Amino acid sequence: MNEDFSEAKAEGVCTAWYFAAALRLLVLSAGVFLPLAAQAQDEGARFQQDPVQQVAARVLVVLAVIGIVVVVYSLARYRGSAVEPASWGVLLAGAVALPLLITGVGTILVFQRAERVEFCASCHLTMQPFVDDLKNPKSNSLAALHFRNRYIPDDQCYACHTSYGLFGTVEAKKEGLNDVYRYYTRTFHLPITLKHPYPNNDCLKCHAGSEKWIASHQDYKDALFSGEATCMQCHAESNPAHNIAQNVATPH
Amino acid sequence: MTPTVTRDVTPKPFKLNSATTRTLLIVAQLLALVVFILALEFLRRTTGGTLFLFSTIGPVLALIAVAAVLGVATYRFLRRHSLFEVEDIEPGQVIFRQGEEGDCAYFIHDGQFAVIREENGTETVIARLSTGQYFGEMALIGNAARNATVRAVTPARVAILGKQNFLTMLSLMPRTQEDIMQTVNARAMRKAKK
Repeated sequence: MNEDFSEAKAEGVCTAWYFAAALRLLVLSAGVFLPLAAQAQDEGARFQQDPVQQVAARVLVVLAVIGIVVVVYSLARYRGSAVEPASWGVLLAGAVALPLLITGVGTILVFQRAERVEFCASCHLTMQPFVDDLKNPKSNSLAALHFRNRYIPDDQCYACHTSYGLFGTVEAKKEGLNDVYRYYTRTFHLPITLKHPYPNNDCLKCHAGSEKWIASHQDYKDALFSGEATCMQCHAESNPAHNIAQNVATPH
Repeated sequence: MTPTVTRDVTPKPFKLNSATTRTLLIVAQLLALVVFILALEFLRRTTGGTLFLFSTIGPVLALIAVAAVLGVATYRFLRRHSLFEVEDIEPGQVIFRQGEEGDCAYFIHDGQFAVIREENGTETVIARLSTGQYFGEMALIGNAARNATVRAVTPARVAILGKQNFLTMLSLMPRTQEDIMQTVNARAMRKAKK
């Protein structure tokens, strides 16, 4: 009987140790990763922070940290055997519920963050010149003007290079995946050019209703609306969309 | 008259041994760990690569992990709740090994089985069971791991009763419970003597 009691006591102490270690790891990880999530959101001006992104990022960090702690605890404590309800609970939480939750919440963030200028710039071998021009206070390109004056408040690349509505978003994401593949396999071709002619709609979705734009484009607005003329006919050379320096890297 | 040859085309029931389920559960948890790390890396540095890995590879890994865990859970649930499934056993086939989790009891319809205890790397046949006898009940009653390995000596046929249904049967049939407890005690005493 004394042996049984000692064994039960040792088992209890062991379990308590695992819990304490898991809690320490959880607190430590939260202390490291929550500030990172917050930092990622402070890149933009403090008036431009998207609450959905902020909340989603923090939730994702917490879920991921909890998931790591739960799985590490489960592997260390049970080593793959699931017999008691407690072991099944930990297993289902760590390998079923949390991955599904993280995938779901993460999808929101993926869609949001893929639209940011910094994300476009991350493919720096191809996109850095465009982003440099966008942020250049001395450039007179359309991109720089729109950025500098906040005609487009944020996600400037995405706003101009995505057609309107859900279909436009899905198309942009699909082409984005293709671009990621070509970037990391170094199968892109320089100089970077549009895959298809720039559609008028991507300008007109904002400008068509603007009195200032109509006043300055009075002579050709009908041709632009009907598609007989394109915006790029004028904005390719003079008042170009982008002023790109020809010092881009070449793929090998 | 031409003799006809008949072949048994009964599909063999799908079986997962304890080692395989353990491996599946460990792999599932490791895949989940990878998903969590991909999520944190995506948050720390949002680039095309981390976004692609988290948004494309991550869900695939998560689904594989979920499928593995739910598959094992479903298999074990069905096994525990199986109701006298009849199974044909080949000679030499191991029914269960010492140390594995006990999830069902076996009632011998035909054939012979050897009960083998392994200690310090040595295998010893401690009992032989035949038609009308049963085995695997001690792990269910004591909620413990299998205390011996059971292997078929001849072609055999067994009826398998899952743990939940076995325990329900004991609770509903006191005479049967007495008989089985007598056998359990006799086997325990034999083990203690050895």
